[in-house]
Order: sequence, then structure tokens, then C-alpha cells
Amino acid sequence: MADRVHLEEESCGLLLELEHILDSDPLIDEVGFIHPTQLAALIGVVDCDSSGDLDTLKFFNRDHKLGISTQILFPLYKQAKIIFFDEIERYKKQTGISGIWGDETSLQRCKSTLDELEIGVMKHSKVLLLLSADLATAWNSRRAIVLKKDTLSMYMDELRLSELILSYSAKSDQAWSHRRWVIKRIVGKLPNLQEVIGKESKLVERIAERSKMNYRAWNHRCWLVSYMTGEQVVYELKNSRVWAGLHVADSSCFHYRRRLMMRMLEDFCAKNASVSVGSSSEIYDIWKEELEWNKLLIKRYIGREALWLYRRFLSLHWLRDFMTQLDSVIFLDDELHLLHSCSIIPDSDFDDFQAQAMYSTTYILWLARQLSRSHAIVLRQKLQVGDMKDLLNSVCPQRSFFCDMLEE
Amino acid sequence: MGEFAADRHVKYILSVEKRKDDFESVVMEHLRLNGAYWGLTTLDLLGKLDAVDADEVISWIMQCQHESGGFGGNIGHDPHILYTLSAVQVLALFDKLNVLDVNKVASYISSLQNEDGSFSGDMWGEVDTRYLISCFSPVKNKLLKNLSYDRFSYIAICCISILQRLDSINVERAVNYIVSCKNVDGGFGCTPGGESHAGQIFCCVGALAITGSLHHVDKDLLGWWLCERQVKSGGLNGRPEKLPDVCYSWWVLSSLTMIDRVDWIDGQKLVKFILECQDTENGGISDRPDDAVDIYHTYFGVAGLSLLEFPGVKAIDPAYALPVDVVNRIFFGR
Repeated sequence: MADRVHLEEESCGLLLELEHILDSDPLIDEVGFIHPTQLAALIGVVDCDSSGDLDTLKFFNRDHKLGISTQILFPLYKQAKIIFFDEIERYKKQTGISGIWGDETSLQRCKSTLDELEIGVMKHSKVLLLLSADLATAWNSRRAIVLKKDTLSMYMDELRLSELILSYSAKSDQAWSHRRWVIKRIVGKLPNLQEVIGKESKLVERIAERSKMNYRAWNHRCWLVSYMTGEQVVYELKNSRVWAGLHVADSSCFHYRRRLMMRMLEDFCAKNASVSVGSSSEIYDIWKEELEWNKLLIKRYIGREALWLYRRFLSLHWLRDFMTQLDSVIFLDDELHLLHSCSIIPDSDFDDFQAQAMYSTTYILWLARQLSRSHAIVLRQKLQVGDMKDLLNSVCPQRSFFCDMLEE
Repeated sequence: MGEFAADRHVKYILSVEKRKDDFESVVMEHLRLNGAYWGLTTLDLLGKLDAVDADEVISWIMQCQHESGGFGGNIGHDPHILYTLSAVQVLALFDKLNVLDVNKVASYISSLQNEDGSFSGDMWGEVDTRYLISCFSPVKNKLLKNLSYDRFSYIAICCISILQRLDSINVERAVNYIVSCKNVDGGFGCTPGGESHAGQIFCCVGALAITGSLHHVDKDLLGWWLCERQVKSGGLNGRPEKLPDVCYSWWVLSSLTMIDRVDWIDGQKLVKFILECQDTENGGISDRPDDAVDIYHTYFGVAGLSLLEFPGVKAIDPAYALPVDVVNRIFFGR
């Protein structure tokens, strides 16, 4: 019993200590859970042979980096949780009461308790979220209070907290969704929305660098597109190209490009009320350049699925929305040429070239199935179905049924 | 290829429930209802649901219900549509849907439907400043489109269908919204223009199947994308270029089953992959061979085997994600 009381006091002390660190250094931009031996190395403890010494090391905070000993995570979380849920209960009750009671003094008294409770909920939910990033109830409590105060500085604090959490928990659904909630709240309040959107896009790129093929991060970046101006869309497309060229296996970054390209196409169609895009427009040049760039990558990085799937999209729209019948014959000839050059499998590097041959074959077949009737007829005449069957059988026999779809 | 260690998996699932004294297990407390659904459905698929005390589970579940009618992931946590479906599914497993106030749950779900037919996951899809004070109480309000995800459409539709109250939501609008999330590759994203993802595809195809709207799907095109998820090892991934993961044995396979293209992948190779992900000593299934097991992957591995008609595993319904006999009991009274 005495032991339990002692433990509870100690974990309460841990919570206070952490909250003090967070309060005194609001610019903390990285958090890590660190084994005590590593913590000792960071702090520079020279002599820490005995485990007793290690147990006394709990936090590290320097240059706005926060380290928490893995030894204390469990008691810290337990304590924060008890206090948070207790406080949130009282807060709910209090918000109910202050709405009903009318007279001045009791209202005044309520208000000061309410303020204290709000400060407490904000403090404890922060610690809880640092330890368990997807605890929705804690995020909800913050939203409720921030919404009530409705000040720009509080919204900006929320963006900072979510960024801090994403710095080590890049897949946290809740942290990403919290950002979208904040941005939607401040859209009307900001004179420089485009700047915020631009920064947000850069943030995704930084996180995507550390956390590969992160669906939530890229989904967030795609969501930003609807808030971008036309110029911003073109800028994003050009500026994220180098990154994409260095991450050719990250299919999500190519989906982001798809989203940007489609936004340009939609804008163009809305403005010009035409179904096909003439060769004198900016978007025509951009689309053509994208196709050429994609081909360059395909030849440089052998056997990359993401690049071939991106090409399916680019070529389909190119033929559908940009090409006349005559142009399309030339384009399809080029694509067949690409297929032939990619379906040769040399003896060396068997795996990658095998993959390249498979992706190029399924690329052409996919296109032949998806094209409009007139284009499909042109392509199917050029492709000998028998030849394609042989090719498919040699590069991926398990999917030979793809050819059957052409015969229908 | 190892054998299927059914008994060990049962033991593993029962042991997970008892773990409460380390950081890894307590930080998952907020989604305990999801965990209960994964674990208990697996037990039922393996014919061992009677190994747990039904009354104890049901009484705990009912304590997770909020006054709005929705369920939180655990006692004291805020309600969300995700956990509401899990609660309804687990009650269905135990044939105890009658303990629910169906109208209340149905009205919670229908209150989350937006103008455009989509669903928000909880009240926080809401942005209207008029609800400043009452933000802790349930609100029925016009919710903003962008916070809603397609998976919420599935969750809402599946849940309300199990409760046999499809008429309490606007099905036509819900279907239109789902169709607006369709991509040029035949797949579906979580919002219009979102990247195709096997998990999202399951949600969209499942919702369309339940509402009898599968004619909106180009089955050959979607089947094409889905079967390309099978990689050399036999496992399935959820998106291009990703490593295979046991959970996609469920997401991809159930979708292929619903659109009648399950023979487009190599089932034998997939069975082999799933079996290789077992911990044959202590039970449980992991995402990939030699990784640590968890309850989520154990469920999806067993559910995948069920769709592949593996002996000793009960059949699972690909749309409702419940054993077929449970679904039959709900809709046909056995």
C-alpha cells in the first residue's frame, strides 16, 4: 500500500516535470522515446554503470529537442490519463452549469473554475497526445476549447503541436486530420492563406522524406490542392518534380502529380468550355513535358511499377483530351516503340528487366482496353492480339486473361 | 509451408485481452472495441466464440455507449462511427442485437450524413460556430464534406444495414458520393480525387454491394488493379510498390470476391504466404513473415483464409465482415 502511494506520487512528479519542460520551451520541435543508456550518453553522464543511476534519468531537453526515457512511459501515461479524464468530466459538468446559472457572482466563480479547467485540459491532453498520438478524445477536447476561444494564436499552436507529433508519428491519422480541421477554421481569418498552404505542402514533403510512401501525408497534400490558386498548382507541379524524380518508387507522390494535373485540366475546361485542349495552351505543353519526363524515368529506372501506372494515366488523358485522330496515330506508334524496347529481356539483371517487360506489356493492354472506340481500333490494329498473348504468357503467365478482355 | 495453428491462435487471442500492464497495450486502449471485434470474430471463425464470457463482453460494450447513441472505443471515450460499427458487429456475433435501442443508434448514424451523401466519422466534421457551448454534447448539424471519408460511408451503411434501418439514411446520395470517389484506374480513394487504396476500395465496394449498387463498378478494370496487388511471394499489397501485408489478404480478396474476380489471383500462393506469417509457437499472425504478431493481422489472416475456403475456418461474408451464419441469422432469422 505504502509502495503504491509512493509510486503514484512519483508518476505525478513525472507529469509535472514534463509539463514544466513543455511550458518553458514552447519551441520544442522534435520528440523521441529513448532508452536510459542512450539518454545517459546524450546528457553526458560519464559514469553510469549501475542501473540505479540510469533510473534517475528521465528527460533530455536541449536545442528544442525533447527525449523521454522509455523507462517512465508507462507510469507517465497512466498518470496523465487519470488526470485528463477526471478533468474532462469536470469540464463537461461545468460547461453545462455555466450555461444554466444566471446570477453574476456564481457566473464569475464558474468562469474562473472553467478557465482553470481549460488550462488543465490543454496541458494534460498535450502530454497524453505526445505519448499516444491517436487518442481521439484528447484531440476532441482541444478542438472544443480552441473553438470556444477562437483566437488565431491558439489555432497556430495547434498546428505546431500536430507538427511536433508528426515529427515522430508521421502516420497519425488524428494529427493529420487535426491540421485539416485547423486550416478550415482559419481560412477566413488569414490574409496570407496561400502562404500557409505553401508551407503546409512543404511540410508534407519533409515528412514524406523521412516516412516513405506515407498515404496519410500525401492524402493531406492532395487535400491542399483545392485551396491552391492556378499559379500555385503550376508552381507545385514544377517544384516537386525533382523530389519525385528521386523517389520513383513512391507511387503516392505520382498520385499527387495526377491530382495537380487533373486540377489544371478541370480549370482549363471550365474556363474554355471545350472538350479538347488545343496545342497552343500552357497545359498542352505541361502535359507533353510530363509524358517525356516520365519516359525518361522509365528508361533510367528499370522495372518501376509506379512510373508505369503514372504513364497509364498520362497517356489515357493525353489521347482522350488533347489528341486529334491523326496525332494519336503518331503517339501510339511511339508507345509501341517504347513497348518493344522495354520487353527485351537481357540475360543480366533478370528481375528488373522481367518486371520492366511485364509493366510495359500490361501498360499497352490496359490502354487498349480503356481507350475510346476510335483510338482503341487504331491501337488494336497495330497490336497483333496473338503476339500480345505470347508476350503476356512469357512475362506474366498468371495474368494471361488480360488479353481476353481485348477480344470482346 | 507450416500447418495452420488454429488452437494457438485461439490461445493468443485470449491472452491479449489479459495484457494490461505495459505501455504498448495501454496506448491502444482507445480502440479496444475495434480490438474486441477483431479478436471475437476470429474466435467465431475458428468455432471458439464460447471461450469468452458473452455477458461480460456485452455489459462492457454497453458501457461504451454515449448518450448520443454512438459508441466510444472504450469506457469514457468519445463516440465515433468506427466503434459504433464494431459494437454492433460484436453484438451480432453474440446474437444480442436486441439489447440495443436501435432507433437511437440509427439516429446517431443518420445524423452524421452530410448534404452530399457522405458521412462524417463523428461530430468533429462539424464546423459551424453556433455550437460553441454545446460542443461536448451530441449535435445534429450540417457537417463539412472534407472531414468525411469514404470508409465512413461503408461503416455507416454496413452498421445501419445490420440494424435493418437503411431507410433512415439517404442511400441514393450516399451511393452517388461513393461513385464520385472512383478513379481512372478503377479503384477508389477516400475522398474525390484521393489515391486508390485497397482498404478504401473494400469500403466502397462493400457499401455498394450492401446497397445493391455494384453496377457502378467497372468490374474488369477494378479487378485488373486489384489482381496487380499480388507480388512474387504470393502476398498482396494495398498500393503499387508497397511490400505485401497480411491485412490485404482481406481488403483485396473480399473486394475481388464481391466483384466475382477472385480467380484472378493465385489463391494457393496467398494461402502459403499467410501461413508463413504465423507464430506457430505462441500463436498469432503478423503482417509479414518473421515480424511480431498482433490481433489485427491475426484477424485479417484468418479472414483471408476463410475467403480462400481453407478447411477448419468458417465462411465469412465479404461485405459485412461477419461470419456467413451470423449474417444469415440477422437477415433470414437463420
